[in-house]
Amino acid sequence: MKITVTIGDQNEVKEISNSITIKDLLKILEIPSETVVVKKNEYIVINEEIVEEGDNIEIIKVIFGG
Amino acid sequence: MYKCTKCGESPVIIQRKASGQLLCKECFIDSTKEKVLRDIRKYGLIEKGDKVLIALSGGKDSVMMMSIFDILRRRNIIDLIAVTIDEGIKGYREDGIKIARKNADKLGIKHKVVLFKHYFNKNLDDMMKDQIQGDSRHACTYCGVLRRWILNRVAQEEGATKIATGHNLDDETQSIIMNYLEGNLDNLTRIGPKSESNYHKFVPKIKPLREITEKEAGLYVIASNLEVHLASCPYAGDSFRGEVGRFIKKLSENHPTIMYSTLRGFDKIKPILKRELTTNGAMNTCKQCGEPASGDLCKACTFSDKWK
Ligand code: SF4
Ligand SMILES: [Zn+2]
Ligand SMILES: [Zn+2]
Repeated sequence: MKITVTIGDQNEVKEISNSITIKDLLKILEIPSETVVVKKNEYIVINEEIVEEGDNIEIIKVIFGG
Repeated sequence: MYKCTKCGESPVIIQRKASGQLLCKECFIDSTKEKVLRDIRKYGLIEKGDKVLIALSGGKDSVMMMSIFDILRRRNIIDLIAVTIDEGIKGYREDGIKIARKNADKLGIKHKVVLFKHYFNKNLDDMMKDQIQGDSRHACTYCGVLRRWILNRVAQEEGATKIATGHNLDDETQSIIMNYLEGNLDNLTRIGPKSESNYHKFVPKIKPLREITEKEAGLYVIASNLEVHLASCPYAGDSFRGEVGRFIKKLSENHPTIMYSTLRGFDKIKPILKRELTTNGAMNTCKQCGEPASGDLCKACTFSDKWK
């Protein structure tokens, strides 16, 4: 299935397998989940949220290495 | 569908790993706000009539802190002034200043931008460029000392009775572990919700977000639709603090309460440390700038002397 992933001002359409969670998605993208807040279709979601076809996932980095 | 532990509504925006609690947006914002207000009371961080100087970088922590202090300002308990320090870090600080200003304006809080260049004749970028050979001190060492100096000076200029900084639980835990690992017990005894010097020239410093994790501060500003500067200082990554921070965050993944227990443990040991270690070194006044100093010159002046 296809989803759109937004990080900063970059949008990217990604092909991923069905019914994965936000946590799985972050793992695939190699983003530590403790450093980001994730919105699914404009709403903040928790790591256990399921990602579905056509979803717009926005990943907002709130913690920086320093 | 997950439901909020408090009100039963959906959707939830956080699962607190430490307690298992699930919270919806409203309950998360309310409970976090209440927690900070409770900590302000519990640690006696403010008194009625205080004029609090908010060290406002425009980042998530300081913007969150200002929005909560504004509740007390609107109740006429305290007065506020927001101060943003422009260290002169190119490509980084400019956006922070703009966002800081917008947030202060939105709440109708007086806002001041103060420059390293104005007080020390040089901005941080130039200090680092001109660093003399053999001086391997990190930018953050200068920055930290000079920022503290400026805040104390501006607080006096503005008649502020408290200086509030946005240090969160992650920052505080880092300081504890860092100073412990470096054997820097003197600095260790100075960590706490409120600075305790009775020297009159030190404006007391307070840290209302000391028990809020960095992640929750990030979630708070996004959930509250506050505009904040989300970026990393170009000098931040390679500091020892950064290394310690990454180590603690890594540990927290499998041990979600580790930062709380580090803080609680430290707060219990601290009075004993203080009793044993207090040197009673009387405070002087810096011969050059008149700010508090432990010797003839304050730390900021020993640094800025080099750049003359
Ligand atoms: S990371 Fe270091 S140099 Fe950058 S603003 Fe913070 S203390 Fe200053
Ligand atoms: Zn709720
Ligand atoms: Zn001085």
